[in-house]
Amino acid sequence: MSIREKLLDLKRRLSDRKMYSIVIVAIAAVAMWGFYQYKHAADLRQELDNQYNRAFYDMVGYVNNVEVLLIKSLIANSPEKAAATMQEAWRQANLAQTNLGQLPVSPNVLANTSKFLTQVGDLAYSLNNQNMGGQGLNEEQYKLIEQLHGFSVSLEQSLNDLQTQLSAGRIKWGELAKKGTRLFQKTSENMPNTQFENIDKTFQEYPTLIYDGPFSDHMTQTEPTGLAGEDMDVEQAKQRVMEFFGQDKVMAVEEIGRVDEGHIKTYSYSVKFNNVPEDQTATVDVTQKGGNVLWMLYNRPVGAQEQINVDQAKSLGKRFLEEHGYRDMVDTYYLKEDNTAIINYAYKQGDVIVYPDLIKVKIALDNGEITGFESKGYITNHRERSIPQPKITMEQARALITPRMNVLSSGFAIIPTDYKTEIFTYEFKGKLNDRDFLVYINAENGKEENILLIMDTPNGILTM
Amino acid sequence: MKTVKRIIILVVIFSISIPLFLNSSVFIAPITGKLAPDMESDDVKKMQQRLKNWNYYDGEISGKYDFKTYFAVRDFQNTYKLPVSGIANEDTLAAMGLTTLAKWGEVYAQSNQSSNEQLLASAINGEARGEPYEGQVAVGAVILNRTRDPKFPKTVAGVIYQPGAFTAVSDGQINVPIDPNSTVVKAARDALNGWDPTNGCLYYWNPATATSKWIWSRQIVKKIGKHYFGK
Repeated sequence: MSIREKLLDLKRRLSDRKMYSIVIVAIAAVAMWGFYQYKHAADLRQELDNQYNRAFYDMVGYVNNVEVLLIKSLIANSPEKAAATMQEAWRQANLAQTNLGQLPVSPNVLANTSKFLTQVGDLAYSLNNQNMGGQGLNEEQYKLIEQLHGFSVSLEQSLNDLQTQLSAGRIKWGELAKKGTRLFQKTSENMPNTQFENIDKTFQEYPTLIYDGPFSDHMTQTEPTGLAGEDMDVEQAKQRVMEFFGQDKVMAVEEIGRVDEGHIKTYSYSVKFNNVPEDQTATVDVTQKGGNVLWMLYNRPVGAQEQINVDQAKSLGKRFLEEHGYRDMVDTYYLKEDNTAIINYAYKQGDVIVYPDLIKVKIALDNGEITGFESKGYITNHRERSIPQPKITMEQARALITPRMNVLSSGFAIIPTDYKTEIFTYEFKGKLNDRDFLVYINAENGKEENILLIMDTPNGILTM
Repeated sequence: MKTVKRIIILVVIFSISIPLFLNSSVFIAPITGKLAPDMESDDVKKMQQRLKNWNYYDGEISGKYDFKTYFAVRDFQNTYKLPVSGIANEDTLAAMGLTTLAKWGEVYAQSNQSSNEQLLASAINGEARGEPYEGQVAVGAVILNRTRDPKFPKTVAGVIYQPGAFTAVSDGQINVPIDPNSTVVKAARDALNGWDPTNGCLYYWNPATATSKWIWSRQIVKKIGKHYFGK
């Protein structure tokens, strides 16, 4: 059959009555399906728009509250009243910042606004603490609040403008990629770019090995005190890598980069080992000054068989540290995952545990090999401290703890604060309602500095 | 007319079922194994804790499947109309909402840490599953560094789901199931435990595919695998 005939045949068939109905029904079905899809998409878009609107209006409300609270705090006369105002400003600024992060606007456009809100919150938090200690605001702090208030007024104004346009329907969230970015850009540009205060108290708390994480975030911003020794070149530092793993185990060490920025300058190496597959390598960063290992990760499959237990791993880790020149380190807390133990070691000066000087060692429990090492805390903070005589006795400190807690053990500890400083404390371990707690009492003024809940999970001991 | 009807029915069924197929279903892995007297494990501990919470058990949370535990399990089975055997089989464990935990992919939400761990692992999986191990840890570390920086949201979920922040979130790559042999879960744990190969970086980008001009204004600190890391 030629094509012409085929077409004619098709035409003939199509003109058949039956065929008509089939085609019409098929078209109707497709149209129905298309309409359903369109409506579905429109519903979803609407739902999303509603979420964005909710986040935006909430944020505007919170920013307005922050502005009002800041000005109120200037006229609060008693420290107690100021504390209440500051606490509320802290809360409202946080809520504003959370909602800001949900808007469909590129994060780099919002960066300054977000930073401003966080800093208002942080400042309010620290002033709240100061006020609760009975201390009022000083002249400098008044000035700072006045300045922040000025910024919050201009933020409020530009947000109110945006709000008017949004509710008039002149901006849609879908179009914000073009139009709104410019609007937000302008808002954000008006925000201060300088750092006021850097006390990030308010980020999410998740359970961590003791005194790690929440306290460690500002480490990179201060000059490290635990780095001693001469500056090394790439080859000298390479030697240190060999020594770290053991000359007999290492097949090759290859330099893969260097970091010359920041307070801790490093060389990076990739390490191949004898008698293991080629692609199973370790990565290690070594400080240019002193040639200390900053961190090491060796990713290898760990067998399911537990050949050594956590206690043996703890002493293996300690021996490893001693062999590499880290003396007087004691294990504090640990975590066990995938048949691997991660053990925290803190420096002990005399009878005082110094938590900021932290080294983490990862040990594979199938053969006791060190598969990870992290010493940022130690390198940043370590030094011999002049520890003062405690001004209150152990008994006095103990009397300050709630009698409901059953104290099991006690000792001295230096703990880090949110303010980049350290405090000399008594550490009490105790039980309340079947839960384990650590309570820290300032050894100089008896203030209850911190309370940690110990979470004895199947995988290890965490604090919260 | 019969064929016409058939076709109509087919078309209608087809058009109705498409949206159904498009819905991805959530798969929950079945529970494996059972707990029996004389066993001693962390799972027994978890079971004892639940039984104690619900007043079936008043002994120590020892991890040992002893007589007290045995009778507690019987009591529990009795209440829930399960075959009373004193052995915590799959049905019993399921009734307690317990699975043999520990394995990835099974339902477990013991603490905030493990939910962060799962979310972080999914994000790393979407963004960097083809990268070398330290590159995966580095991506996790960048996300955690952001939670500590005032310019970004303060929670892991806030940072990951911030609109426009990560391509893997925008295009749904974050929901790609994690390969059981993948190292992303391990990488997420290392990042949560404080390993940071980037030395505090807040951004990373792939120089081959980065579309934003702005990102090139960042200072490059390090290159790991295909990604540049910067502040």
